[in-house]
Amino acid sequence: MREIVTIQVGDFANYIGSHFWNFQDELLGLVEEPHGDPIFKNSSLDMDVLYRAGETQQGLLTYSPRLISIGFKGSLGSLSSSGSLFDNISPYDTTDIVTWTGNVSRCVAEPHKKNLFLQSLCEEDQPKSALYANDPDKQKSSPHNQIQDKDQVECLESGVKFWTDFSKVQYHPRSLYELCGSWTDVQKFDNYGIGKDVLSAGLQIEEMSERLRFFVEECDHIQGIQFIIDDSGGFSSVAAEYLENIADEYANTPVLLYAARDPGAYSFPVSQKESITRVLHDAISFSRLSSLCKLMVPVGLPSLSRSKLSSVLHVDDQKLFHSSAVYAASIHSISIPFRMELPGPTATSAYVSGAVDVGEIIHILAGQARQNMVTILDTAMPAPSLTDEHSQGSIHRNLHPLTPEVEEDDDDLHAVESLIIHGALHSGHHRASVSQVKDSIHASYLGGSQKPMFAHLSIARCPLPIPLPFPSIFGSSVGPHGELSGNQSEGARSRGSLEIDSIPMAARLRSSKAVMPLIEKRLGNLRKYGTARGAPGAELLRSWGFAKDEIEDMGEFLSRLLMVFDSHRDTSSDSD
Amino acid sequence: MSLRVLNPNAEVLNKSAALHMNINAAKGLQDVLKTNLGPKGTIKMLVGGAGDIKLTKDGNTLLKEMQIQNPTAIMIARTAVAQDDTSGDGTTSTVLFIGELMKQSERYIDEGMHPRVLVDGFEIAKRATLEFLEKFKTPVMMGEMPDKEILKMIARTTLRTKLYEALADQLTDIVVNAVLCIHKPDEPIDLFMVEIMHMRHKFDVDTRLVEGLVLDHGSRHPDMKRRAENWFFYSNAEQREKMVAAERHQVDERVKKIIELKNKVCAENDSNFIVINQKGIDPPSLDLLARAGIIALRRAKRRNMERLVLACGGEAVNSVEDLTEECLGWAGLVQEHVLGEEKYTFVENVKNPHSCTILIKGPNDHTIAQIKDAVRDGLRSVKNTIEDEAVVMGAGAFEVAARQHLVNNVKKTVQGRAQLGVEAFADALLVVPKTLAENSGLDTQDVIIALTGEHDRGNIVGLNHHTGEPIDPQMEGIFDNYSVKRQIINSGPVIASQLLLVDEVIRAGRNMRKPS
Ligand SMILES: Nc1ncnc2c1ncn2[C@@H]1O[C@H](COP(=O)(O)OP(=O)(O)O)[C@@H](O)[C@H]1O
Ligand SMILES: [Mg+2]
Repeated sequence: MREIVTIQVGDFANYIGSHFWNFQDELLGLVEEPHGDPIFKNSSLDMDVLYRAGETQQGLLTYSPRLISIGFKGSLGSLSSSGSLFDNISPYDTTDIVTWTGNVSRCVAEPHKKNLFLQSLCEEDQPKSALYANDPDKQKSSPHNQIQDKDQVECLESGVKFWTDFSKVQYHPRSLYELCGSWTDVQKFDNYGIGKDVLSAGLQIEEMSERLRFFVEECDHIQGIQFIIDDSGGFSSVAAEYLENIADEYANTPVLLYAARDPGAYSFPVSQKESITRVLHDAISFSRLSSLCKLMVPVGLPSLSRSKLSSVLHVDDQKLFHSSAVYAASIHSISIPFRMELPGPTATSAYVSGAVDVGEIIHILAGQARQNMVTILDTAMPAPSLTDEHSQGSIHRNLHPLTPEVEEDDDDLHAVESLIIHGALHSGHHRASVSQVKDSIHASYLGGSQKPMFAHLSIARCPLPIPLPFPSIFGSSVGPHGELSGNQSEGARSRGSLEIDSIPMAARLRSSKAVMPLIEKRLGNLRKYGTARGAPGAELLRSWGFAKDEIEDMGEFLSRLLMVFDSHRDTSSDSD
Repeated sequence: MSLRVLNPNAEVLNKSAALHMNINAAKGLQDVLKTNLGPKGTIKMLVGGAGDIKLTKDGNTLLKEMQIQNPTAIMIARTAVAQDDTSGDGTTSTVLFIGELMKQSERYIDEGMHPRVLVDGFEIAKRATLEFLEKFKTPVMMGEMPDKEILKMIARTTLRTKLYEALADQLTDIVVNAVLCIHKPDEPIDLFMVEIMHMRHKFDVDTRLVEGLVLDHGSRHPDMKRRAENWFFYSNAEQREKMVAAERHQVDERVKKIIELKNKVCAENDSNFIVINQKGIDPPSLDLLARAGIIALRRAKRRNMERLVLACGGEAVNSVEDLTEECLGWAGLVQEHVLGEEKYTFVENVKNPHSCTILIKGPNDHTIAQIKDAVRDGLRSVKNTIEDEAVVMGAGAFEVAARQHLVNNVKKTVQGRAQLGVEAFADALLVVPKTLAENSGLDTQDVIIALTGEHDRGNIVGLNHHTGEPIDPQMEGIFDNYSVKRQIINSGPVIASQLLLVDEVIRAGRNMRKPS
């Protein structure tokens, strides 16, 4: 078994993670369900890759994400940082104090109220099932609960304040780590320099590393680290320091990094100074983070509602709860090949095909020919069915980038891609077999006008399950199994978990020239505002603790990222 | 856990308003921390919005838990926390001293005095106080073998301000022995060589010193023995995680080399063999090792590799090629302890411990955390004493003595109105004995009169926090760290002066970037 440890750093990363783990929890629940869809029972996905089995001191067995989540103190809302799994909440009675016999004073913060959704999770937990988190969907069918489910969905639509508000997962007590901000205003935690200050005392990064060691020590053959970072602010430098530690301690463990940003990060800067701060932050953050991982996937569009995905998805850009769900679904899809279970190394399976591990996918995309390590994430959500006349063509044409600032037309003849399709429908709501998907995709590669130089294809039959706390972001043309009916009724209400059980997904990592504008922009800004003579941001960078030659090294590094595209052009003639 | 000090709004304040805002912020912070001070202070139980509990008697921890938004308060808090980072103690006193300097200044400023004059006086008083501290301190000779009694006194004084007496006294020996264990004459003390570990234990509050190591992980194989005596060590087997068939063979070869060495050194005696590796070890190798009767621990943290060598001797090697008998370390006892999914490996009875572990047991996380904080403070106080080669009489004795010195001897040497700055400084020093008295439920004025009276008669006394009577801190063994006191005297007036000489303050404005 090849374990993955997941690390989430920063608020938006945790929003994405929250949805991501809800999908996993849902998959676990659906396996248990007595009358459930057999597609989930035979998913051939090994959840042990992402989860760990353990036990509490009381001997209760547990199964929880192999996860470290870093956020600001106060960002956990009503969830205790020790998680809900290992019941630790003692009655906070002052007679409880065994270390002091003198005076005691209590200072109680206003308790965070649990919303309807979390309340119903608690109720269900009464007879606590030892293994999996209880699955609220089990009761979906009983009419008594129907109303309640509706209320829960509504309460999430109208008021998610913390990523924990919609999480149904039980976390290990070592998973959730709260950073003490040394009195930085969370709202001002918006640049690389501030994040550096927060870790300066050293004890926090030590604790973060200790927690990681706990999860890694248990792994027999760790295949990689899946790292999601909210890179729009101070968490970039927190992550960079963490990654430095990881590179040091676990040199052979590849890191797949998703650098995510929420739509709010694109809001119009209020001043010249702020806009300089922001572009320099972007440049520094990008160059530091990409130098510390094996594959970097920038994600986060300024607006999903104005993107091409909006023909089927109705995302409210103001809600992190909404946008994070789209990114989470795609990251989930990308992770599917990492945990495919095959009966033997050469055996074929009716459920999955194209298993690769983290190291292999990195090798496919960044390790051969042109060695570009900044890749584009594309998604088709839901993926159209293979033959449906309503869907406007092949899966390929419906894949749209979630990576910002990339070229729309990809005419790169040397592109390399890895595509995962899972839960695809053949027509209507009939699920396609693995070989049907394979044939259809091969046909579309052959017929397509632009072909990548190399493509890897992974297929699984198991679709993306839509758990109760998933936002209502589907258009009215999306059916209960994610089938696209084509009759988009104007003004119809968005659909969510009450109407839709699962959807087919396609997601792709693409290494292509199309990513160049993103890198060029950062390099250009670094030069213009950071290193040029009399650059207006030079002082700022100094205050972030960077010496001039360090900045120049970063510029070097960025131009080397770009150079791979050129150098390949020169040699391409003889490699063909 | 939000204790707000002042409510921020984006606006610029003029000079006088800014000055008063600074004074108020300093006083506000002082009020929050005041009750923490000394052995009769109040412990604070902070309950967060999700019901998490934090327990603290420590100014430093409390400050870090607070959501401070006022820039002046943040500046003071930063100074106080920096105080703790460099010297390990004195946070509360720093905040109180700055607050009191501002409070004393306010009186004079309200009477129309220019802050500049006060600041000049502070500077003179500060230098005089530091000089006085040099004469006042109690030198401690360290030499080859430090004076254990004085180390115990200083540790006890610190610990009793954080934990109730019996618990503090139990920890006193542990803390002193731990530092002496890692102390090598003429070398700086690296407190990282004292590991602080904890175990959650429902009904147990106990702390003990393990001369050796406690690792928070254990062997991974069900057949392995859990306890055995007389161990040999070998560490750092270089293992790759990814294994193809060809590599498998190589790894097996390496494992075999280890087993050969084990057979060689353990053949003629009843010793056992353990491998502790900084990298991973895969299950087939664990299996081979287990079958050869070798315990193997993987993913040891780097610092523990260092500590292991200090405790057990031998050396960490990077590849089996370098492996010889000389690399092996030795311990009398290795045993594993399992609590639910938490495993601990104890490495004890080592021959020449230069590294040790303080093991804390407590019923819940917040109790453990609080004891841990106290232990850290205790360790720092012992280290400081050895490095300072001096201590300072506590319980307010130094502050009263310094104040008398300033008022009786220094003030008259100062020209003009800066005298008033010296006086303000001198009076501000009294905040420590006053607060100690207040926290003990005593009448502060009575106490100050009694203490200054004794000092005027030439007796150096501090406050008996039980009775309010003067006591001799030397006799009672109440000592504070010299370096801590010096830093408080140094940084307090610097910050106070900055706050007094303010031109204008831009209050923290809100930055509306994130959509909600
Ligand atoms: N037994 C005691 N009697 C009176 N005063 C004491 C005693 N022990 C410590 N103190 C005083 O308490 C003060 C330290 O209190 P503490 O709560 O540790 O605050 P800080 O954070 O400033 O170190 C010192 O001034 C010290 O002299
Ligand atoms: Mg103290």
